[in-house]
Amino acid sequence: MHKVEFEQLEETLFHEKLDNGLNVYILPKKGFSKTFATFTTKYGSIDNHFVPQGGTEPIKVPDGIAHFLEHKMFEKEEGDVFQEFSKQGASANAFTSFTRTAYLFSATGEIDKNVKTLLNFVQTPYFTEKTVEKEKGIIAQEITMYDDQPDWRLYFGIIENLYKNHPVKIDIAGTVESIQDITAEHLYTCYNTFYHPSNMVLFVVGNVDPEQMMKLVKEDQAQRTFVEPTEIKRIYPDEPKEVAIKERVLEMSVQKPKVFYGIKPEKLDLIGPDMLKHELAAQLAYELLFGRTSDFYHHAYENDWIDESYSFDYSLENGFGYALIGSDTHKPEILIKEIKHTLQNAVEKWPFGQEDLDRVRRKKIGFFMRALNSPEYIANQFTHYAFNEMNLFDVVPVLEGLEVSDLQNAFALVSHEPQHSVFTIMPTKKDEQ
Amino acid sequence: MFETINIAKGVNVHVNETTQFKTINFSIKFKDKLTKEKASARSILANVLQHSNEVYPSHTALRMVLDDLYGTSLYIDSSKRGNEHVVTLNVETVNDQYLSEKGVLEKVLNLMYIVLFKPNFEHGQFKESIFLREKNAIVQRIESVFDEKTRYAQQRMMELALPNHPASITSNGTIEDVENVTNEQLVAEYNEMVAENEIEIYAVGDVKPEMIASHIREFFHFKDREKTIAVPPLELVKPEQSHVLEYEDMKQGKLHMAFFTPITFRDEKFPVMQLMNGVFGGYAHSKLFVNIREKESMAYYVSSSFASQFGLMFVLAGIDSKLEEKAVKLVLEQLEEVKKGNISDMELDQTKALLINQLKEALDSARGQIDIYDQYMELMDKFEPEFMINRWKNVTKEDIADVAQQLSLEMTYFLSGKEDERDA
Repeated sequence: MHKVEFEQLEETLFHEKLDNGLNVYILPKKGFSKTFATFTTKYGSIDNHFVPQGGTEPIKVPDGIAHFLEHKMFEKEEGDVFQEFSKQGASANAFTSFTRTAYLFSATGEIDKNVKTLLNFVQTPYFTEKTVEKEKGIIAQEITMYDDQPDWRLYFGIIENLYKNHPVKIDIAGTVESIQDITAEHLYTCYNTFYHPSNMVLFVVGNVDPEQMMKLVKEDQAQRTFVEPTEIKRIYPDEPKEVAIKERVLEMSVQKPKVFYGIKPEKLDLIGPDMLKHELAAQLAYELLFGRTSDFYHHAYENDWIDESYSFDYSLENGFGYALIGSDTHKPEILIKEIKHTLQNAVEKWPFGQEDLDRVRRKKIGFFMRALNSPEYIANQFTHYAFNEMNLFDVVPVLEGLEVSDLQNAFALVSHEPQHSVFTIMPTKKDEQ
Repeated sequence: MFETINIAKGVNVHVNETTQFKTINFSIKFKDKLTKEKASARSILANVLQHSNEVYPSHTALRMVLDDLYGTSLYIDSSKRGNEHVVTLNVETVNDQYLSEKGVLEKVLNLMYIVLFKPNFEHGQFKESIFLREKNAIVQRIESVFDEKTRYAQQRMMELALPNHPASITSNGTIEDVENVTNEQLVAEYNEMVAENEIEIYAVGDVKPEMIASHIREFFHFKDREKTIAVPPLELVKPEQSHVLEYEDMKQGKLHMAFFTPITFRDEKFPVMQLMNGVFGGYAHSKLFVNIREKESMAYYVSSSFASQFGLMFVLAGIDSKLEEKAVKLVLEQLEEVKKGNISDMELDQTKALLINQLKEALDSARGQIDIYDQYMELMDKFEPEFMINRWKNVTKEDIADVAQQLSLEMTYFLSGKEDERDA
């Protein structure tokens, strides 16, 4: 078992890669009564075209299948796994993102039992045509619920605008139509391909003894047999640099317009330390341009072009990413114009120096320290970073090493007009109802 | 958990000295009576005070100093509990022992003083442009509820079921009342808040209670004040309508049901009612979840919740608009099971285990500690989790059936997709 100490943060991380390929991380937290564990596979909605385990030819699977599989993992021949967690005083849950499917629990007691339940239920698939059919009604209601949420539609609307071919443009849950095609056989194919321990990470954080917990996980895993790990072949289409759709409008039952201005980054093949540096540098550049101390924010807020719903975000994965700036607004045209101006001005003359960098860097370090109070944040973020060959605990040293030119370089990758797009939700016109 | 130091009549400092967190959290809570007018004015006030002040006269200047203090977070929110309206200054700052720079805590305490006591005045009133902008921001915040249909449906039901009752008054007030607030009235509200409101001050982190108390005593100069808010005898009045159907342009139907119960937070049967709600619809093992979601595949979300301040229980479900009647029938059937005491040992044990877990987990965050301590202060001087845990442990199925029998369904509200699509 490896032990890594992060002295300034007063955290110690324990790690071991087991014989079956599973990466296990344990982070003891003093003073906490709860333990939080996530068991995550590097498999999300974008993995819809791949060579199945044991096969030679690539296949395409229905949209929404990773999420469907996540739902179905909870049902076993003997009943519902939620019941078992509840009995052991644990709150269990799961989520599917573009790139990951995570199963998790938090509990303040019976941690050993709960960890075993977590490992066991994720590693014992049970799918039948009957249980798959039954789930379709539930997931259809989940999809319908999201369809009525304007903020979700806005988010997916802009991603659909940005990406022409990449499967990130497909809604994580699929559509009510696409899930009808899903069969138990599909689920087994996806499960066998992506749920091998060598494609997964177990992260346990909280009130645990690392030695004892590692022993428990090892013993549990040693009892199970898995096929030899093979490299997973995922196939992604070529994605052009420019956006798929420049501008689109959707009408919904909202009280005022909502806008997202989106940018597709130019370099999407980053991984590891380069990715971490670029992402942090770009986030700081965006903080300076669009954060709450920026000239843009000041003008836009005082003039009522944005309101309390205003947000901006820069997010990067291997193969896709996006910068988003948006708000509910009575003045969508003016807001879009101002965002364009702000970006254009920064391209022409980079407006920030050392003092600006120092300030946003301090802000970001403070945010990170606050986040380390949350076991949920640590487990989820650590796994996200690990799947991209980065280390969460490198965030502070990398931030400390950034220079103004790094921010400029990162910004240069997201400043070209053909990579920009706008998605707007407008209130339904009353006279058409 | 917390050590309490009284620094003036009606002003208490509660400190939890702990090394559990890498940050120090503060909350200063100003408590007043909840009315629509007060909620409206105090929401504007919260926004105006967090916008800027005499020392940092623009939003940008204030946010820059916060960034410099390692991204110290500072915001003022407006909330309600029972018949109280609460304005809270929330601050979280990094414990400087994790930083190379020292002295951050003193600067943060000083900034909190400035935010509360050095408002951005011009000729004895709030700077007009800021006053108008923030008034507008609150109006927009109230309007935005419409976009989230679950929140909107719940609010509509409450307005219809209990108009002008603290249960339906929102912490932001109403558009009309916000628009009517004048700058002069806001100054009066501000003066009343700092001079007359009951104040609870919380600090959680690696800090000495006496140090925090003496700093606040010395610099904040809080004067004595009288307790003004009486414990509420909040009568629930029977709604005029028992069923309301409304339409919006949307795909999913939103079912909201409101039940009255004589049991509130102050009742000795409060823990029984918490368990009843848990068994019925509080968790993934509950009757509503298992039967309506898992067995019938009718819903993705279906749950119940207990609003203990008012003696209300709600059931919420997102369903196909055509299935309202069927869903209501199924909900009532499950309630009937609880009333009859048809509860398995496993359902009871699971619910107890999860309530206990939830409470312990909440205490693993500084905000959770503050919220729980502040809520239970009314019932006991020093909240200890064991107090609730022991009471839950003693609850029997018969106790749960008894409280379930006292529930009465008072309103069913259904927000449906468009009329022409209801039977499409």
